Parts: sequence; structure tokens; C-alpha cells
Amino acid sequence: MNNTHVKVTRIPAPVVALAASAAILGLAFLVSRPSWARPPFTDSQLADQQQQLLAEVDKGRDLWHGSKPSMSSTGLACGNCHPDAAASNPQTFPKYVTELDRVAPLRDMINWCIEHPQGGTQLDVNSEDMVALEAYAFYLNRGAKIEPGLAVPTGPYPVKSGVGFPKKPSGIGVDQ
Amino acid sequence: MSDLKDSGRRQFLSFAGHAGLASVAASAIGVNLGLVEIASGQSSGKRGVTPFSFAIITDSHLFSPENHRFDRSLIDAVNQVNALGRQPDFVVYTGDIAQNGREDQLVKGQKILSKLKMPVKYIPGEHDWYLDLGTVWKGLFGKETWSFDHKGVHFIGLNSILVKDFWTGTGMTPVQRMGVMEMLESPIAGPWGVGAEQLDFLRRDVAKLPPDTAVVIFTHSPLWDYYPRWNFQTSDAPQIRDILAKFDHVTALHGHVHQTVYNKIGNLSSAGSLSTSWPWPYPPVQLAYPGSQMNQSDPANTKDGMGTQSITVAADGDLLSYQPFADSLTPFLKNGINV
Repeated sequence: MNNTHVKVTRIPAPVVALAASAAILGLAFLVSRPSWARPPFTDSQLADQQQQLLAEVDKGRDLWHGSKPSMSSTGLACGNCHPDAAASNPQTFPKYVTELDRVAPLRDMINWCIEHPQGGTQLDVNSEDMVALEAYAFYLNRGAKIEPGLAVPTGPYPVKSGVGFPKKPSGIGVDQ
Repeated sequence: MSDLKDSGRRQFLSFAGHAGLASVAASAIGVNLGLVEIASGQSSGKRGVTPFSFAIITDSHLFSPENHRFDRSLIDAVNQVNALGRQPDFVVYTGDIAQNGREDQLVKGQKILSKLKMPVKYIPGEHDWYLDLGTVWKGLFGKETWSFDHKGVHFIGLNSILVKDFWTGTGMTPVQRMGVMEMLESPIAGPWGVGAEQLDFLRRDVAKLPPDTAVVIFTHSPLWDYYPRWNFQTSDAPQIRDILAKFDHVTALHGHVHQTVYNKIGNLSSAGSLSTSWPWPYPPVQLAYPGSQMNQSDPANTKDGMGTQSITVAADGDLLSYQPFADSLTPFLKNGINV
């Protein structure tokens, strides 16, 4: 049996090349799945998205300071007891809230405050106004550790001078 | 004994030792224990002070509608002070009677405060001032800069919320000007202060006083950089502290912050007062006396975090007793703090 010839099929070079690339690409896909899932946002898209967020925060800041008359009949706005969103602790929600006697998200607490200390009409929780208020509260507390249910008071997060949320004067808060 | 104008102040009795402290604690909760008190007409101690007390009510921020909750709160404050077991000789109102500086709000405040059984001295806050630059306020309450002596203590009141004119050049309406002065960090007007004229007044006022004089100074805003972002500051506080540096001890009492707070810088002790309108949260600063922070206010209790304060002046020091409407004092504050 010494002279048995095993027939070797020579695979043509292009086929080998194709198979190799397929293997490499397959490996690449496995390693970098996110870029395979969808193309990344361009810098200008990201900037635009951030602008949209800041526009909501801007709206939220106005609402926080009494720009919507229906939110208050006592003259109190969120900003009275929560300047720079201090003592609002959005990072501790959802949590049990004694005023509501249940676990509630931030938006429900906001609505409770609108109704009670502010004597106003509650907002639709799914409205853009509520999104704006939440955007403001979260933005001014960015970087805070998320701790749903934290019951101890936390300090407000420092607002660097002039940077908190710059705003041209709007006369909001002065009754005409 | 006092050049404070008064019409019917009760004869004041002095206290001794523990009986005195117990009485002070009792008056802090509005109860007269009826302890036997030693009558004395003499001054005692090296400061030449005859013991007495005075009260502070501040920051009612009255709105215009009738029977607003802030009106009721101020009425409660007046009743609370009138019911003190140890009647204060006088009351000082440290600013922000009105929310928008309107005449009807200032008049309403004056009417409510006129129900106090004892004389009242006033200093303005920014909410009182900037709608008409103090015209109505001065008409109702008199001078914004004053001093008087009472039972051996020298009292000073200053207007600490003055800024340079930012409204004339820009053609702002009074309402716009008032709105600008309500803004956090005062981005347009800049930080407020007492100004050169009042510094001159202060210099002249204390020039001849010996260093061991008991001095109490009232300003709307705190005389230290508590948190300039929320306008918790007075820009020329360093100059004020300089002028007062010669005294062994000065007690500085302020409003504006709507919270209990205590600090001491050099010879000057500084304490904030409870408002009768709404409680402010504490700013993100490390306090030298963190125990002087009250517990976080319960939003479901419309009276929480607010009240009045009573200060008992004696030869060995002043005791500040906060009197909140609802129980929110920490152990540090409960029995009064020496200021």
C-alpha cells in the first residue's frame, strides 16, 4: 500500500480568497456587533440631539419657575422650594412617597406638588410639559448616583456659578 | 435705659442661672412656667447688659389675593410672638414683607404686624424694594438705616440689598426691575450690598463704642458668602466685618435664607431666621455648624420649616431659640443656640 495516491482536489485560489475573507468578516462582525446593528450617529446628528434635549431643559426651566399659570394658584412655583432643582432628588425615584401612599415616579411627585403647595392643575403625565420638567430636574442633578428608594435627604448638586442654566431675563415669577 | 420708642412695654425682670435657662426654654415653646423671678433694675455683667429678649419675624412674601396662605402664616407668627411666656421687648422684621413690592402687599403686612403687642423695627428685603425703590416701604416703615441702644445693647439695622442702577440705561419698567432682582445669582444687577453711604454710617455709629459693647446687627442678607449662587451673600460684608472687628463679639442676624443656619467668622456670629412663607433647601456647602440645619421640610405640611425666633440677651451671651410652627428642630437647635 505504499503507492496509494490520495486524490487531492486543489481548490482554486479565488475560492480560497473568498472563503478567507468571509471568515475574517464573519469574525469581525462577531467582535463589533454594534456597528453592525446600525450606523453610528454623526457628530452633527449628536449635536442636534443634544440641542433638542437642552431645548426641553430650557422649557422645563421656565415651567419650573412659573411660566404656566395653571400650575399655581398660590404663587408658588417649583423654583421657590427647589431652586436649581435642589431638594428634588430625581435620582431617588421611583420610591415610596408618603403623600401618595405608593411607590411613584418623579412625575407623580411633581404633579402632587403642583396640586398641593402650588394649588394648581395637575399636568398630563405624558405631556411634553412633564417631559420638560423632568428633563430640567434630571439635567440639574446630572452625575448624581441613581438610588431609587433613598429616603435620606441628599444635598443639591452644586451649580457652578453662571453655568447652572443661563437664561435671559423673562420676567417669569412677577405677577402683572 | 432704652431709646427704643415704645408705648406700653411690660416692666422687664431679670433672670438668674438655671431658672433663667428654664424660662428661656419655656418661652421657646410659648409656655409661662410662672417661675419666681428676681426683679432687678440694675445692669449685670461686664457688658452692662440688663437681660431681656426680642423676637424676629421675617420673609412673609405676601401676595395680593385676600386670605392667601402666606397671610395666615404671618398672622400665626404674630400670634405666636404675642403668646410668648417671656414677652419680647420688641420685634425686628428682617425684610421681604411683600412678594412683588406692591403697595397693597406692604400695607397688608404692616396691618398684620401692627397686631404685635410690642414695638417693631423694620429693615427691607429686595422683594420690598425694587418695584418702587423703597418709596412705599419708607413711607410705611421709616428709615432703612438705623441704630438704637436698649438695656446696654447696641442694635444696628442696615439695608443690605442695594445694587447699582441697572434699570435706567436699559429703560426697564418697575415690574421688569423687580423681576430682575428676583433672579438667582443676580446675573444682571450683580451682587448686592449696603453701599458706601451705609458703611460710612456704620463707621461713625460705632466709632465711640468700647470694644466690650454688646452689638447686634440686622441685615436682610447674610454677612458672609454663604452661597452667592442663591444670593446668600452681601458684597461688602468684609468691610462691615472690618468696621466691627474691634468688638469682642458681634451678633449678626439675617433673613433671606428661609432656614435655620449658624456660622461664626472671627468675632461675628451669624444666624439665619425661619420665614413665614416657604422653606428653602440647604445649598451644597459645607457648614461649620452642620447641626444648625433643620430637618428637611415635609411638603405635605404647609407649616413645616417656618416660624419665628426669639433671642434672649444676657450678660454672658445671647441665646437664639428657633420657634418653628411644626417640629423640625434637630437636637443641636432644640434648646437654643448661643449666638
